[in-house]
Amino acid sequence: MINKLFIIFKKDFLSARRDAMATYIMVIPLILAVGITLFAPGLNDTTVKLAMLKSDDIEHIEYMEQFSKVELFDSMDELERRVEKRDDIAAIAPNGNSYEIILQGNESEIVEEYAVLLNTYYELGSTKEETTAQLISFGRTVPPLKTMLVNILILMTIMLAGMLIAISIVEEKAENTINAINVTPISQTAFVVGKSLFGSTVAMLGIIGAVLITGFYDINWFMIVLVGLTSMILSLVVGFIQGLSSEDIMEAAGSVKLLFLPIAGSIAVYELLADKWQWTMYWSPFYWAYKANTMILSKTADWGTVLLCTAMVIGLSLIVYLLSLPKIRKGLS
Amino acid sequence: MKLLSNYLKEMKIAARGFYFYIEIAMAIILLAILLLAVSETSTSNRKQFIYNDMPQKIVEYLKDRSIEKGEARLANSTEFKLKPMEFEIMNQETGETTAYDFDDEKIIELETIQMLDSSTGELDETVYYVETEEDMIRLAYGESEMGVTAAMNARGKVSYQYYLQGYETDRLKNLLYILQNESRDAVNAKKDKQVVRTLEVTETLNNRENLVPIFIAYMGSLMGFFIVMAYIFYDKAEGVIRAFAVTPASIWKYLISKIFVILTTVVVSSSIITIPVMGGQPNYLLFYIFLIITTFAIASLGLLVASFFDSISKAFGVMYAIMISLMIPAFSYYIPSFDPLWLRFFPSYPLLQGFKEIMLNGDARYVLTYSFVFLVGGLILFVLADIRFKKTLTV
Repeated sequence: MINKLFIIFKKDFLSARRDAMATYIMVIPLILAVGITLFAPGLNDTTVKLAMLKSDDIEHIEYMEQFSKVELFDSMDELERRVEKRDDIAAIAPNGNSYEIILQGNESEIVEEYAVLLNTYYELGSTKEETTAQLISFGRTVPPLKTMLVNILILMTIMLAGMLIAISIVEEKAENTINAINVTPISQTAFVVGKSLFGSTVAMLGIIGAVLITGFYDINWFMIVLVGLTSMILSLVVGFIQGLSSEDIMEAAGSVKLLFLPIAGSIAVYELLADKWQWTMYWSPFYWAYKANTMILSKTADWGTVLLCTAMVIGLSLIVYLLSLPKIRKGLS
Repeated sequence: MKLLSNYLKEMKIAARGFYFYIEIAMAIILLAILLLAVSETSTSNRKQFIYNDMPQKIVEYLKDRSIEKGEARLANSTEFKLKPMEFEIMNQETGETTAYDFDDEKIIELETIQMLDSSTGELDETVYYVETEEDMIRLAYGESEMGVTAAMNARGKVSYQYYLQGYETDRLKNLLYILQNESRDAVNAKKDKQVVRTLEVTETLNNRENLVPIFIAYMGSLMGFFIVMAYIFYDKAEGVIRAFAVTPASIWKYLISKIFVILTTVVVSSSIITIPVMGGQPNYLLFYIFLIITTFAIASLGLLVASFFDSISKAFGVMYAIMISLMIPAFSYYIPSFDPLWLRFFPSYPLLQGFKEIMLNGDARYVLTYSFVFLVGGLILFVLADIRFKKTLTV
């Protein structure tokens, strides 16, 4: 049995190498991880931007630079043209003995609030030197936005593996190799597991590489591998069902599109909704995988929660698998 | 005439397949999500844990005053589970570190106050009052949120200790230093005197409407890229494209008929999402012009990419990379202060901004300019794809 599984794994590996498929599953997450590493610092530092006049009081400019990104302009015309551009930026310009805040009118409320607040503190003469406040740090260096992007990358890789399995099965169906399997000594289960081994191994390597590139070295690797492997079961089940139930590549493409819904929904609910609404996504295994990964990457995970999340992923995947078993059998026969 | 019959034939085939109905079903699901699950106003989920190191009477007085002034409202108390954990904290001023090691697990119920936005009255931040400083620090660490100790000295002056995660920007830290320097009354009085001038009278999209351009751009126009490739590879596998080599029909008519099928699907699914949510607000003439042109341009890109490969699995890497890179401008759409120059070179940037302008019934010149750019770009890509397919008919 093990030997046969390995033969299918090897066959898949060789044919995938010809099509550069394995390279895609492994290399794409790595390239995206490099992108996140370059991209995340800028995305994290999105303090409100201010436009000011070069002729303004240097003290005023320096004061504002402590709290926001400041762009300087030669004239009021230039200043107003900058404010009218597509992004959110507020201007603070002298107006008689005081200052005025200039907005385009479609900025988010926080931009106006922030600009008003900063100018208020400036006019009150409030400085860092007179503070009684103390800052105490937990020493975390990875911003939540980066954690979120890496977590999305992990889910995308899992989905990528599922998509590729679905596509490879549809192509095997088109070439009638699935029928050929039925007349070989390889059982249907061995075929399913063998095909899965390839996708999951390569995707797992891609995930580990991506997590390392993005700088998450000191996380609990046992936990991340456990969640990764259980999530793979999910993507394999989904990939198989999509591949076997799709008559052609168009149907597989449609199913892939549908798969975006529970993934995007799980992320949106976890990140945006209050605790009392989290239950709305309990049915989605992607939700549990995302939750577990978030806790592991932010180093707040405990084994109890991680095991609960993985049990939910496995349980829900098994339910989907069992419900789809007749379809899988039909697709293989 | 041949073009029309090609298109009708393709539509008949599409209607027989499963994909066309998935698109419609997907549009209906997204519409249901928008109408039922997404509220028109965005709700803040910022949290803060406060330990008040001062007499309870003063805490009650300050809280009641905030509620009376409409700055806050009481909410139901919230339960938190404190898990075993160990961590270190460092005072940024003194460099002094303190280690914490908690072995116990307990559940605590915290008094909850919702802080409200002074101008809109909407939820700005949820504040939890914690009874001991140790629990507050534990919660701030465990929940990855800000913790605060507000301590009052003998002369009645309040000083603050902020417990930060560590990844906060220097600009935010600088703001925290000055935030409590002045009394709230003095700050509010000065704030009211600030002069704010707006250059334009512009509309903004509400929370729900703001999602429509994203759904249209990504589920409609950009998906055309993926779907047209799937169509082409399906036909390649069936040998349909090769059959064109021995027919008098031109290849461009075949290619354009594929794009027409995508256009029909995208127009139907985008209308299902847009019309019920936006009602009569958008300029629909501009909407359909922009939708059709951008879908055409991006589907032409899909055709060109498809011409270099003979199966979807071989094209997968390029396809996936292009799709992911086209998603990047969504960050700028959602975080308008994040708008680096390089991001504007992605075609999905003007695509999203164009749909946003249409939904706002705003800058028509921007939409028409980019419609022209997409049209020219789309035609060039289409011609290149046609040349490629002619060359590779026998492959």
